[in-house]
Amino acid sequence: MTNPHWQSDAAAKRISRRNAAERRFKLLGLGAIVLSLSFLALLLFIMLKNGLGGLDWSFLSGTDSTDPDTAGVWGATKGSLLTMFVTLLLSFPMGVLAAIYLEEFAPKNRWIDLVEVSINNLAAVPSIIFGLLGLAVFINTLDMPRSSPLVGGLTLALMTMPVIVISGRNAIKAVPPSIRDAALAVGASKVQTVFHHVLPLALPGILTGTIIGMARALGETAPLLMIGMRAFVVTPPGGVTDPSSVLPMQIFLWSDEIDTGFVQNTSAAIIVLLVFLLAMNGLAIYLRNKFEVRW
Amino acid sequence: MTETKLTARNVDVYYGPKKAIDNVSIDIDNGIVTAFIGPSGCGKSTFLRSLNRMNDTIADARVTGEILLDGEDIYAASMDPVALRARVGMVFQKPNPFPKSIYENVAYGPRIHGLAASKADMDAIVESALTKAGLWEEVKDRLSDAGTALSGGQQQRLCIARAIAVSPEVILMDEPCSALDPIATAKIEELIDELKENYAIVIVTHSMQQAARVSQRTAFFHLGNLVEYGETSEIFTNPREVKTKDYITGRYG
Repeated sequence: MTNPHWQSDAAAKRISRRNAAERRFKLLGLGAIVLSLSFLALLLFIMLKNGLGGLDWSFLSGTDSTDPDTAGVWGATKGSLLTMFVTLLLSFPMGVLAAIYLEEFAPKNRWIDLVEVSINNLAAVPSIIFGLLGLAVFINTLDMPRSSPLVGGLTLALMTMPVIVISGRNAIKAVPPSIRDAALAVGASKVQTVFHHVLPLALPGILTGTIIGMARALGETAPLLMIGMRAFVVTPPGGVTDPSSVLPMQIFLWSDEIDTGFVQNTSAAIIVLLVFLLAMNGLAIYLRNKFEVRW
Repeated sequence: MTETKLTARNVDVYYGPKKAIDNVSIDIDNGIVTAFIGPSGCGKSTFLRSLNRMNDTIADARVTGEILLDGEDIYAASMDPVALRARVGMVFQKPNPFPKSIYENVAYGPRIHGLAASKADMDAIVESALTKAGLWEEVKDRLSDAGTALSGGQQQRLCIARAIAVSPEVILMDEPCSALDPIATAKIEELIDELKENYAIVIVTHSMQQAARVSQRTAFFHLGNLVEYGETSEIFTNPREVKTKDYITGRYG
């Protein structure tokens, strides 16, 4: 027995209307992706067109100069690497320890709630404020050398730490409680449980969050303006206390001098920065896949 | 011929202001299997977890009264919960092997407690624990495979081997078969029967048939109270309390 309802014209019309709505939605979604990706493609195209010609060994190994033909990106790259080194050295252990403490050891009370809210807010503070803080605390109060990767790294570490804490807590929270029970039940202490079982399982998530936080710090310009890393530096920094620039700052400085023939340099430096960022994101994906435990 | 291993005297367990266990007193003997039965939410698992202080990990859980292991108060300040849990092992409802190799799963406990002086010692401990758990023949050629790759029943026996490896005196089992099929369940029950020679075993179960099959004593919990406790054969054939009778005849629960 077939139900005559499904043979009626009204039913056929309703179904075709529904299918049309379905097609419309798919097109709309596809359109959104194509639109945003085409902007990215356009950006890449313009950068490659303008910059690829200037991307040679002398550009990669040279330092800043007033002459666009001899100006290179190595000084700024080395400054970026040193700054990232300081940032990572400080923000990774601090962030991971804070995440472990908050997730596994902290008592549940109003103080800890306050700490949580503060850390979440810290992650949302505009970066220029961190720059002001760095200027006030590290340079004016603690007398550290202006324009140095040390101060830049410390300032960016303050910015990156909350990102690592938040991603670290999420990764730790995602470890099934049954694993903690299992370890405790054979007589492992709390610290053994965390370091032998919880942390290794949370590590891929923590590393991913760290690398994404570091990538954000690598592209950061505003806070470094405040601590004087926009200085014109000709010699590449020899250590973390030497005056230096960083890649995004170099791009910013050169883009100011477009009329004097720095267009190619600006675009080439952007390519270098993008390669760095892509490499870091690639590393994040690789680490996540490599260490991920399947249940 | 049996001796008392664990004694609870007037034990209350609270979760915050809520009383989950109300004035429970019970003696648990060595060398036999004691089953805790009762409807969901009656507090049997809560009480079980207070016997090795796993409730310590729950922030607002509080235990009052006395629980004695060989006459020693396990909630005394002098009792280290970490050492206690090595003496009172636990097997959980859902098999929870570490996402490490089969060998590592068993070796972890002995290693952190320093029970093996050499690699050969450790190998012997692992083999003996897996043998007692009835898993050795199935896994001896693939000890380096992931414990999580085993079947559900094998995982649960691995968890039992992991508990045995630290030479506990008591083994607590919290519905160890509820995630397993009937064949795997039968194997675990057989294993429990063999293990009772050397340990005091307490098993929480939802299945009255299971309680009847594996245990020598049964405790019936209802709404946080210990309603009746006695020989399993007595409880199931001739219960003293009406509530027990209603429960075991399937009137509720």
